[in-house]
Amino acid sequence: MEPINWHTFFFLLFSLLAVVFAVAVVVASNVVRMAFYLIMSLGAAAGLFFLAGADFVGAMQLMIYVGGTLVLLIFGVMLTAQGPFISMKTRGGDWILAALLAGILLALLIPAAFSVPAWRNRATPEYLAGVRERPATSAPLAMGLVGARVDRLAEADANRREGMAGYLLPFEIVSVHLLVVLVGAAYLARTKRRATAERRLL
Amino acid sequence: MNLLSEPVGVSHYMIVGAVMFVAGVVCMASKRNLLGVLMGIELVLNGANVNFVAFSSRFLQSEEGRSLGLDGQLIAVFVIVLAAAEAAVALAITLNFYNNYGTVDVDRASELKG
Amino acid sequence: MNEQTLSNLLPVLLGAAWLLPLASFAVVVLVGPRLGKAGLLAGHVATGAILGSAVLSLLALGAWLYVFGFTSGQAAHHGGAAGEHVQQEAEHNAAARGRADASHGEGGDAIADAPEAAAPAVAAADGSTLSEPVRAGKRRARPAPMVSLPPPVKHAFTDDWYTLAEFGSLRVTISYYIDALTVVMFVMVSVIATCIHFYSIGYMHEELHDVTDHEVTLSDGSYLHRRGRFHRFFQYLSLFCFSMLGLVVAGNIFMVFVFWELVGICSYFLIGFYIERRSATKAANKAFIVNRVGDFGFIIGLMALWSSLGTFAFGDVPGQGPGIFSQVRNPQGEPPHALAAPTGMVLASAQERVAEIVRDHFNVPDVDPQSAWSEAVARSGGWRAEGLGYGLLVLAGLGIFCGCVGKSAQFPLHVWLPDAMEGPTPVSALVHSATMVAAGVYLGARFFPVFTPEVLLVIAYVGAITLLLAATIAITAVDIKRVLAYSTVSQLGYMMLSLGVGGWLAGVFHLITHAFFKSLLFLGSGSVIHACHTNDMTRMGGLRRKMPWTAYTMLVGCLAIIGAGIPFLIGLSGYYSKDAILAQVLSFRGVNMFHGNILFAVAAGGAALTAFYMFRLWYLTFAGEPRDEHIYEHAHESPQIMYVPLVILAGAAVVAGWPILGLTDLLEQARPLGDVGRGVMWASLAYPHEHASHAASIHVPATLAAAATALGGFLLATLFYGLRWLNPNEVRQQFPAVYRWLWNKWYFDEFYDLVFVRPVHFVAALAARFDRRWIDGLIDSLARWVRGVSILDDVLDRYLVDGAVNLTADWFWSLGRGLRNVQTGRLRQYVMLIVVGAVALTFLLEAFVSLP
Repeated sequence: MEPINWHTFFFLLFSLLAVVFAVAVVVASNVVRMAFYLIMSLGAAAGLFFLAGADFVGAMQLMIYVGGTLVLLIFGVMLTAQGPFISMKTRGGDWILAALLAGILLALLIPAAFSVPAWRNRATPEYLAGVRERPATSAPLAMGLVGARVDRLAEADANRREGMAGYLLPFEIVSVHLLVVLVGAAYLARTKRRATAERRLL
Repeated sequence: MNLLSEPVGVSHYMIVGAVMFVAGVVCMASKRNLLGVLMGIELVLNGANVNFVAFSSRFLQSEEGRSLGLDGQLIAVFVIVLAAAEAAVALAITLNFYNNYGTVDVDRASELKG
Repeated sequence: MNEQTLSNLLPVLLGAAWLLPLASFAVVVLVGPRLGKAGLLAGHVATGAILGSAVLSLLALGAWLYVFGFTSGQAAHHGGAAGEHVQQEAEHNAAARGRADASHGEGGDAIADAPEAAAPAVAAADGSTLSEPVRAGKRRARPAPMVSLPPPVKHAFTDDWYTLAEFGSLRVTISYYIDALTVVMFVMVSVIATCIHFYSIGYMHEELHDVTDHEVTLSDGSYLHRRGRFHRFFQYLSLFCFSMLGLVVAGNIFMVFVFWELVGICSYFLIGFYIERRSATKAANKAFIVNRVGDFGFIIGLMALWSSLGTFAFGDVPGQGPGIFSQVRNPQGEPPHALAAPTGMVLASAQERVAEIVRDHFNVPDVDPQSAWSEAVARSGGWRAEGLGYGLLVLAGLGIFCGCVGKSAQFPLHVWLPDAMEGPTPVSALVHSATMVAAGVYLGARFFPVFTPEVLLVIAYVGAITLLLAATIAITAVDIKRVLAYSTVSQLGYMMLSLGVGGWLAGVFHLITHAFFKSLLFLGSGSVIHACHTNDMTRMGGLRRKMPWTAYTMLVGCLAIIGAGIPFLIGLSGYYSKDAILAQVLSFRGVNMFHGNILFAVAAGGAALTAFYMFRLWYLTFAGEPRDEHIYEHAHESPQIMYVPLVILAGAAVVAGWPILGLTDLLEQARPLGDVGRGVMWASLAYPHEHASHAASIHVPATLAAAATALGGFLLATLFYGLRWLNPNEVRQQFPAVYRWLWNKWYFDEFYDLVFVRPVHFVAALAARFDRRWIDGLIDSLARWVRGVSILDDVLDRYLVDGAVNLTADWFWSLGRGLRNVQTGRLRQYVMLIVVGAVALTFLLEAFVSLP
């Protein structure tokens, strides 16, 4: 009996949770439950992120998705969840089609996951021992977002070093985008009382 | 047990991402509830994110320097942010739709039918 | 005032006089019908304009007389005893003979007998001088005494008013050439036109209201009823006066041609004034077409002049090289102003030799290109001596004269003038007696220096034939206007004859006097027609009691035209001018016995005929008993506005020729410089100087002949028609053939019909048949063929091209309809399609793109 590789163990745990709840989202027909299963699935995905060493991304996943987006989603559920809409059954034909589609996609994606030999390689314990001590990723990520790639200073390959890019410009674009989106969302979601009044006047 | 003692690789993560992705797609394709479609979108984005993070991880590689490094994580961050933005707009659209049609059934929104 | 001032003043005065009628024309054209009641003021506008022209012309005449007086350097040079003239004439002949000998060598004997034959007529002056040239025939003439005299001068002003265009050396200009003849013509035209305008206001008053034309029957049997055209008549008159004055003032032959045609078109309008009458339109067409025949020759002459001389200008326009006159008669020649083929014509005739010279010069390098030209010019003297270029000069002269023949209704183009009487009578008076037909004679006089002796002889014969022809026809005509028309033709023949025998002054003089008494006669006849409403003299008679003013003014006109007068004492205007013509013919006979005999016989016979038919006219119309009571009852004297011009013209007809008024002296100033000389092609032809006719030996017989013939004609007419001692009907029955011949106007119309009209109709019918059968058939078959092709095309287009296009369109239409079903608007379906698309793309990529 080989010793349990805890990393693998937690990977299996979180991936199982994520997959199961993701499927549950699909299967469930009650929108409130769907929202709950989604939270669970995304939370498990956050765990997977932690396992992969992406602590900052995992934290973001939890905070933005679980703490932000899904709260927003649940608001929407609550605002629209009136009697007939809480549970909307999908018709049988649609299920069959969707299953067919899912089968095809999976048949395409899963072989693709194993199609590249490098992806099939697994980390050896010796290697993992070498990278055991690792810095937190939040500071390099923040530096990368403002344009300085401190994580790649030691890159040996000159071509790759030159190919590296800072993310200041995408960062700015995304931040402005976010602002605009929020303003637009607020505009779209506002009450239309005044508009209807104007229309009536007309 | 072989399953528990062996380290995991990128492929495993990718299978998880693929399943989440497919679940999202199926969700989008089959849910009549507009909120269900939005949740499918979230799942699709998360499936993609899992892949990005997996590619960026050093712990899933057999030797140093083969991972994507922080680039993958950065892209994952962007995806999360955009997903949040998309969720905000989509929810606003949903509310508008609900206000105008009195329902969240996407099948009722067929005015663009040719 | 001096000559310089005059040269500035005259163009302004005459230009204004010329343009006034144009202004009137423009006004009447634009606002004519609205001027006064029914256009009455239009007549006043036109009359005022021509009156202004008359005043300006008289001012110009006054200015001319103030500066130059009645005599000129030329006249002074030639003034003196008659014998001296003959002396000089003989010298001229000798000089001419010398030249002729130099070129022809053996010509001397041939021509020597002409002066000898002429001797009896001229011997009275100085027989020995006359024989001198005969003896001197074979040697160079000695220097003539006249060389010591001052060179003759001619006062003429010429310059451009406006340059219309320049094509290389050709200048098309509006220019003037003003000499005494121009001034006199201006006065004559404008004064007569003024009288006729006044007269027309009375004569045309019917046109002031609606007119019923009893000569035009409509298809329903009624007479034509139309609106009056008073203003239009005066509009045409104004345009005519403008054209005629422009023709007179013109300083270049191109401008002459333009106004020549304008005059012709005005004549066309006025003859066809009653356009509803078929006879009027036919007469208008006839006049215009017959004139075209003459104008064709005119254009040939014009082109011959221009192409060889390079200029249209008459005189030497300042700064533009010599004009036609100076080129034909070189002022620096020996003797001055002698007629010689101009260098341009010589070079044009000798073009092969010129080309040879140019070739030679071209082959030699480093030679100035101009040197070929100057060499050709230098050699042209020798070529001229060979006679080159002279033919071209003759051609040019004949061409110009062709135009004169057409316009002045000379044989063989005289047929239009009698028919032109279809126009209103004032038109006949103005256009067809006094002015337009005079334009031909005027042009002949203007171009007199260009005419070679050969051309002049042609002119003389044409004039002689015309005068005899017209006079004989006039004897039998019964239409009062036609008698006058033939009389006009006959008198124009006199003028041409006079020009042709070298009587420049006599011809022009007769032109002026004739204008006065012929317009008087026409206006009188118009007055008669106005009173009787008929042209037929056989239905008149005794009218002198009803309309004394008309009758006695016309009597004055008749006396004037027959040249009545007391020999050697005094006479009416015609007496002087006709005498001058006869004297000139006699003088011509002195050196050319053969031609002279014929021409003198014709001229004298014509004078007798003139007297006969004019008094036949007068007796038939005014004397005796009325032959048609109805007409006589309704006859009345014309209104004052009509007979006052008659009186004025009668006065002019009486006095115009009186020497004391100096008309001849004035015209003498305009005499072309230089003598006619001798013929080159026809070496026996010689021309005496016109002053030779003043010699008593010539003048006295001529006067006696004129008086005798006129008296004879008058007495014969009196016997036949005045006293009725002889019955004209008996004569008519005695000579039926002659009568029919004359009655039918020598069958000229029939002859032309047979020779020109019928063949043309025949050819036209042939051409029409050919056209209809072959050309039309060809065109029709082509059309049918094209139609068939187009039908085929249509089918192809409709079914093949359109079908292909429509089929494609239908494909896309059905494709669009099919695709429309895909667009369900269902979101979930779209998502599925996206996925299916992505999967399909992946498979496609795997299948067709080799991934690394």
